[in-house]
Amino acid sequence: MKDFFWMALSIVAAFLLYTVFSKISLSLLHLINLFSLIVIYFASERGEIYGACLGTFCGLIQDSFSLGVFGVAGVSKTLMGFLAGYFAGKVNVTSLRRSFLFIFVLISMELFIWASLFTFVFSERVSTGGGLLFFQPLLTALLGSVGFYFIRKKKKSSS
Amino acid sequence: MPYSWKKRKNLIILLSLIFLQLILISVQVPLGEEENYFERVVFTVFSPLQHGVVSFFRGLGNFWKSYIGLHRVHKDNERLREEMFFLKQENNLLREMLKVYRTEKEISGLFSDLQKKILPARVIGIDASNVWKSLNINKGSLDGVKKNMVVLDKHGHLVGRIVDPISFREARVQMITDTESGVSVIPEAKDVPGVLIGEGNGRCKLEFILSTDTAIVEGDRLITAGFDGIYFPGIVVGHILSVVGVEGLFKIIKVEPSFKIQELDLLAIITVDSKEVF
Repeated sequence: MKDFFWMALSIVAAFLLYTVFSKISLSLLHLINLFSLIVIYFASERGEIYGACLGTFCGLIQDSFSLGVFGVAGVSKTLMGFLAGYFAGKVNVTSLRRSFLFIFVLISMELFIWASLFTFVFSERVSTGGGLLFFQPLLTALLGSVGFYFIRKKKKSSS
Repeated sequence: MPYSWKKRKNLIILLSLIFLQLILISVQVPLGEEENYFERVVFTVFSPLQHGVVSFFRGLGNFWKSYIGLHRVHKDNERLREEMFFLKQENNLLREMLKVYRTEKEISGLFSDLQKKILPARVIGIDASNVWKSLNINKGSLDGVKKNMVVLDKHGHLVGRIVDPISFREARVQMITDTESGVSVIPEAKDVPGVLIGEGNGRCKLEFILSTDTAIVEGDRLITAGFDGIYFPGIVVGHILSVVGVEGLFKIIKVEPSFKIQELDLLAIITVDSKEVF
């Protein structure tokens, strides 16, 4: 129940931050993928099915605020959530360096799947925001690895 | 539970989730179909959150301006008075010019009606997948907003039109820079109609201009022609950026829209049907 509460709060926080970013600068939206970070974190903590379901939910929220086909971001986040939970169970990804690499690979994979599906459905190229989209895996992984490190450290010290 | 059954069960759940979403995607093709019920529900639930956050920060900004940034108030006041003076002059001149075609009574009636049909709105969010596709605004069905209403920026330039979903206090605007958007346009003072289609990257292209046409040149200002039955004629849309070449029978013409995405905050929704305006 507690986990569910934190997950719901994280989704709402990500959504609100996304709104704030869009008012500060449009470039920030291309550079940081907050919803994916939430999916990766909870998938690593709770497993692949939790990750897949959360990925579906977050992806569909993201899709509902875009004009176009509902479900494109959902598919990519579902896959990413599943893989995040699966590999987190097999490999220790708690250290800063491993966490960075883990998030980087997952976000890159998600971006690739999303872009491929987007191109297939819409028959048009993805808008890269002047190339900023290519930096999304790097910056999101940096932010995520540092954030996860502090969250896990705090959890450890409180328990 | 045996390990291999657990693995299989997880895989079945994953494949079911993906399969359901692929079904969801496929039922929306061909593109242009109405939003599905689930998407409307999610939009209705989450858009008030966007609305709330933006209102909160705007309130903070207004508090700063009103009580702390007072030193700018006098300067802003003077600038706005000067701007209003010139706008009034321009308005009077245009009314005089319009008298050639209409009586004074008709003009007064037209403009007084038009003022009542302008609904101001603010941007509360933008498209998650592509910032040039759509944006969300803080007016919805309870404010009288309906599908296909025209949306202008604060300078009167065309931004786009209202599309589904529309919730009680929020709605979505499809921008003219969206690849699915089409606007019938003509260059000012030239009779060469075309269709403006978004490219999804902040620019548009003007289509169906014959390769033999010599009237259209770089710098020409484009206005809506009104042939699409959605956008009433005479709205400034953009200007010709370049005529880059020929593809088949038609020219390849790049257009820069007049609205600036960084300045999109206050918008005007025209709540009157385009056929009722002129």
